[in-house]
Amino acid sequence: MGISSSIHIGPYEIFYPLTPSISSVQQYGQHNLPGRLFVVEGIDGSGKSTQLSLLHKWLEARGYGVVFSEWNSSPLVKDTTKLGKKKKLLTPATFSLVHATDFADRTEHSILPFLKAGAIVLCDRYIYTAFARDVARGMDGDWVRDLYAFAVKPAAAFYFRVPLETAIGRLVGARDGFKYYEAGLDLGLTLDAEDSFRLFQGRILEEYEKMIPEFGLTVIDATMPVEAQQAQVRRIAQSHLANAKELRVHP
Amino acid sequence: MRQTYGKQLPGMRLTDLPGKLIVIEGTDGAGRSTQINLLKPWLEELGHAVLDTGMTRSRLAGDGIRRAKERNNLGRVTQSLFYATDFIDRFEKEIVPALRAGFIVLTDRYIYSLMARAIVRGMDANWIRSIYNVALRPDAVFYLRIGIEQLLPRVVFSRGFDYWESGMDLFPGQDIYEGFCNYQAALLAEFDRLAEEYKFEIVDASADAETVCTHLKRKVLEIIEPVHVEAPEAKLLGAFAESLAEKIFANLSSGNGAPEHRAAQSFPTAPPAAQVPLLRRNGSAGERK
Repeated sequence: MGISSSIHIGPYEIFYPLTPSISSVQQYGQHNLPGRLFVVEGIDGSGKSTQLSLLHKWLEARGYGVVFSEWNSSPLVKDTTKLGKKKKLLTPATFSLVHATDFADRTEHSILPFLKAGAIVLCDRYIYTAFARDVARGMDGDWVRDLYAFAVKPAAAFYFRVPLETAIGRLVGARDGFKYYEAGLDLGLTLDAEDSFRLFQGRILEEYEKMIPEFGLTVIDATMPVEAQQAQVRRIAQSHLANAKELRVHP
Repeated sequence: MRQTYGKQLPGMRLTDLPGKLIVIEGTDGAGRSTQINLLKPWLEELGHAVLDTGMTRSRLAGDGIRRAKERNNLGRVTQSLFYATDFIDRFEKEIVPALRAGFIVLTDRYIYSLMARAIVRGMDANWIRSIYNVALRPDAVFYLRIGIEQLLPRVVFSRGFDYWESGMDLFPGQDIYEGFCNYQAALLAEFDRLAEEYKFEIVDASADAETVCTHLKRKVLEIIEPVHVEAPEAKLLGAFAESLAEKIFANLSSGNGAPEHRAAQSFPTAPPAAQVPLLRRNGSAGERK
């Protein structure tokens, strides 16, 4: 072919392989980072966000530097997700990928750097949400797990377990109806939003149950009083903070 | 029936995809889009419906990627996954439907460029492969290969150095010329590895566009109009034609009356269509089912 594949170009020698900041994707990021990552999981209406915000306040009051990151909130990817949802462009595969892209941006900009700096990072929903939802939409479980292989492994992942009817009871009237993708209406299971929500979230609950032993999720009984749940969450969080560096944001 | 590189997306049928998936791969400036712009009208003139597609052209993620790149704070994992989103959107919404409708799909880059770019950016090779293992195996991959020495003048004297083509996200603070050389050489090395693994058809892209195109046209014809293949059905048809000719000759030389009538009786009957797939201009008979 007459093409040279030399690695020297003029006076320059190529350094290959390259050495980027994240040297390589690691299996659920077995990073040894000074910070601590806590995540909450559960279906809509399980009360996980309430619990996380209570934990947040408690940690801040104790002087920790705390950073919060919410599912599906990357400023870089949000327009794409919004477009996909609004115009109903998303298939199970692109739904999965657009959320993984969002999560990657937050990992690279909001999660990893802060964990490296020794902060406590709190995530409302994490990779388990993707595993549950995407598999409920028909994606291959192993494929989705591979997709998120770059994620940092949390110190503790709290799963707020709640019966479906309790969750629906909390949601009805609490906000303006069931959303298209959250209710799994894209799957065409049924036209009624509440029925669809019930069917889809039922599948998601099954996926969560499977993940409890697979990923060692910490199960919190979300039918207990708010205070009792929070006491449990704080106790467990505390046990992971023994050797954590306390970064005071406001000394 | 078509095959993927491993897994199958939900709702994706691999049967009844009679079109042809032709991939044009190569590093930046290898002349991929020039060749596609030459091949497309030529194929259409031959009567084929053509879909051309390429990176960042998806309805879902194209604009999002362009905006993200302008901001220069696009992380490497994010970048790899954003491109995967773009690819899968085009794959599900454009490429597969076109193949189902019998189109020839000319794609400017495929999963290989996306993998090469991710690997050069330090992504784990197995990780990136596992994402793209849902892609269809194409009918052909033409790898327009060009060395840095030939590539440099092409790029520099036409459009100049581009931030991303020079891998400046990888080499911040480096001179853009050095960045370009380093990045393109790393890509080239990765492409060469992929070429072996995925059995690319290597095309010397340092030649002029016309020469490359003539070569590509001949190769494309072999895929879409395999008339001179030594397939068993071709031999069968040949045998049939031969015996037909013999009978005609026998009839003519015998000189007996009512040749039409005799001919109708003695000619061999054609094998049923189901046994002998006819050679089609639009695609090979063998892959129809």
